[in-house]
Amino acid sequence: MSGRRRSMPLVAIALVALAASACGDDDSTSSTGDGTPLAGVLTIEAGQCTDAAVTAGSSFRMVQPGGTVKDGPFVVNGDSPCGDKTWTPLRPGTDGGLRLGAYQPQQANPFDATGNAVSKAIAEPQKWFAVAFGLATNERDPQTNKKTRLPTVVADGEKLSGDLSALAASWNGQHFNQGAPKPGGSMPGATSAVTGTYDKSTGAYELTWTSQIVGGPFNNFTGVWRLSGVVNEEDAT
Amino acid sequence: MSVDASNRRRRGALIAALVIGLGLAAAPAAFGMFSRAPAGGSMIEDFRPYMRESKIADFRAELEVIGAAAGEAPGGTAAVDDWKRQWPAIDDDMDEMLTTMRDDIDEFRGVSALPPFVLFPWFFVLPGLLIAGLAGAALVADRRGRPWSRLRVALAIMGIGVIAAPAIFQMFGRAPGGARMIDDFRPLMTTERVTSVQQYFLVIGAAEGDLRTSVLPRTNAAEFPATTRFVRDWPETSHDMAPMIGAMSDNVDNFAGIDALPPFWLFPWFFVVPGVLVTVLAFVSRERRPDRARAVQLIERTAAS
Repeated sequence: MSGRRRSMPLVAIALVALAASACGDDDSTSSTGDGTPLAGVLTIEAGQCTDAAVTAGSSFRMVQPGGTVKDGPFVVNGDSPCGDKTWTPLRPGTDGGLRLGAYQPQQANPFDATGNAVSKAIAEPQKWFAVAFGLATNERDPQTNKKTRLPTVVADGEKLSGDLSALAASWNGQHFNQGAPKPGGSMPGATSAVTGTYDKSTGAYELTWTSQIVGGPFNNFTGVWRLSGVVNEEDAT
Repeated sequence: MSVDASNRRRRGALIAALVIGLGLAAAPAAFGMFSRAPAGGSMIEDFRPYMRESKIADFRAELEVIGAAAGEAPGGTAAVDDWKRQWPAIDDDMDEMLTTMRDDIDEFRGVSALPPFVLFPWFFVLPGLLIAGLAGAALVADRRGRPWSRLRVALAIMGIGVIAAPAIFQMFGRAPGGARMIDDFRPLMTTERVTSVQQYFLVIGAAEGDLRTSVLPRTNAAEFPATTRFVRDWPETSHDMAPMIGAMSDNVDNFAGIDALPPFWLFPWFFVVPGVLVTVLAFVSRERRPDRARAVQLIERTAAS
């Protein structure tokens, strides 16, 4: 009896610790599935829209509220160089692409005087509705103010999965988390998991995900992201 | 009045004051104020930058620039044609929205001058608990035959304080204004309306992109000064519009929470009515002096024999 009484506080502490680990702010460890974590930089191959759409390389589209990733309707970006202006090609930034296992944070002031994003490590800022948007991965998400996980992509054979909850787009004085899952692990609305393919022999990869915007002027719009290029493991941190 | 009747009256008054105090303390939980009041505060803060005459005048000026361009710009692309076709309806809707906001600036100022919304539930809970505590302590003292006239005085002061609170915070003028503002904002703060405004932004933005990148370069831009100005001003216009759309979008749920509260104009009376009752009950519950009570008892016994 007394032994049981003595063990009660320990059980209580263990339960509290378990609950805290389940409910607490995110840490920086990954929750991706089995497989080999990739290291280095996912280089971004510039999107090419020789035809109407982006036919090769990396791209971004945005689904309007109530639409679907398959059929749209998509937001028309008047600044797109493509024939089909619902496609916006992405171009590599100063780091060449998305760094895994480390953040590529935005600056303290991520906008210039006219609202153009200045974050250019991952991708070159692209004009969207006359104002450039930029990408960054931040330890604390600037839109939700929640802690995020380190960007992680895991290869299981030729299949890729990942956690890009830290990815945020900045545009016109606004911030939009564009990760999957969202900081905290949720997958709201049309948000879908990071999936892709990987050719270990060449290092070529292709990664896709969708991320529904929660809050702000584009609440309920969904970003559709496709990154492709090669994994530059030499640039691992 | 017999001593028993006097005791019953006194204790009845104290029990009533106790119940009123507990009711006042429980009201915020019953009305969901602990979540809705902070939501209201959040909405006030988000809308504060836009509920100014100068800001609304800026928006109107920006809409005029877009309108002038819509009347002047050459068509030729689907996005531009769509914008020119939709513009009159967009302009009407946005104008109505800005008019509503401008008309409610004084009401907004009144509401935002109230104490922080997050404190509102505690304006009920704390006096309620104090009233209940004083009434309960007086009941216990009375049962034990101890003097409790100071508790009764404190109870009366609490009652008067609760009556005075709405006047101190000028709630009689501000709360009905808040109620009017909520009525006016009800059609604006819906998901459907916010989605419409988001669509307006897309229509205007897509047209601007086409005008800038393909339509104007094919023309003599000097022939289209209003269109050229629209294209020049658009980054700043979108910089102004986007956060306002965000504020609307982010506060649809907050507004629904506020709208689910009892009507704002009733709020002063949620203080006045219990305050008056508690004050009256404090007077009703006054102790009879022991010598007078004994005299009354003696007269009653004599009469009975």
